[in-house]
Amino acid sequence: MSARLKTTAQVLALACVGGLLALLVYSVVHQQHAPSVGSKAPVFTLRRLEGPGKVSLASYRGKPVVLNFWASWCQPCKSEAKVLERDWTSYRDRGVVFLGVDDKDFASDARRFVAAHGLTFPMLQDGSGSVTGSYGISQVPETYVVNRQGKIVAHLAGPLTVPAFATQFRSALAKAAA
Amino acid sequence: MTVRFLAVVAAALALAGPAAACAHPRTSLAHLQGQVMCPVCHTTLNMSDSPAAQQIDRFISQKIAACWTAQHIESALVANYGQGILAAPSHKGFDLLAWWLPIVGVLAGALALAFGVWRWSRRREPGEPDEPEESGLDEETERRLDDLLARFD
Repeated sequence: MSARLKTTAQVLALACVGGLLALLVYSVVHQQHAPSVGSKAPVFTLRRLEGPGKVSLASYRGKPVVLNFWASWCQPCKSEAKVLERDWTSYRDRGVVFLGVDDKDFASDARRFVAAHGLTFPMLQDGSGSVTGSYGISQVPETYVVNRQGKIVAHLAGPLTVPAFATQFRSALAKAAA
Repeated sequence: MTVRFLAVVAAALALAGPAAACAHPRTSLAHLQGQVMCPVCHTTLNMSDSPAAQQIDRFISQKIAACWTAQHIESALVANYGQGILAAPSHKGFDLLAWWLPIVGVLAGALALAFGVWRWSRRREPGEPDEPEESGLDEETERRLDDLLARFD
């Protein structure tokens, strides 16, 4: 009886250690990283910030897409907004789609931001940050350029007002739109 | 003088008005700052000074001023940011595990400890004769060793 009890206790202890190890492995494996350039852009469906309905990235397959992650509380996003709007107006006729993804933000504040900066491209809301998580966004603003095949051609982890990022962005945009 | 008095009365009424309008005890920003996470820095609001945390602080302050309860404010935050905005898991569904598992763990540990102590105390009951210790030597060697030691006495 005593030996049986001892074995049971040992099995339980091993099961506890095994469980903890499994949790550790799970968290390491499921840690979200930024998808690399050349890989498929993670698909998502998000609700529109303004107006009803949802938008799916998959519905834009065949068109180059610029995904810009921003938030109303983000200071660099304010100066970047002007650059994005200007590029959107000049590339929209070439079939390029711009999507703004409002990250971890209040919808009301985000709407005020959009109105204040006169942004006219579609805006989506990711309040819980699930999509920004799958894109490995650590700090807004960040921008991804996705080509017609749905592959990432550029990832710019910073505001497009930075000259180096601006150059990289325009070059990726031109390539994706070609 | 009368104008000044009236101004003071008006200001007092203006300040007392919203407080009196609340039908329940007002929650505080400090209380909620310990219950709500900053979605960017993953610490509670009271430990963060990020713009995102400041934005949530402002939202909470506005809602407190509008007499919202802590629960109401938390629900609004969950609706906007998801369950992860709360520092503690909810008391329903799968989240209950987070509340019960530590209690079960402590109880199991206490039971295991109590069982171990009980077994240890039973093994060493008072009055039980101690078992003679084995020296591991044969009889002849032991006798010679005793003789040798006797010489030193």
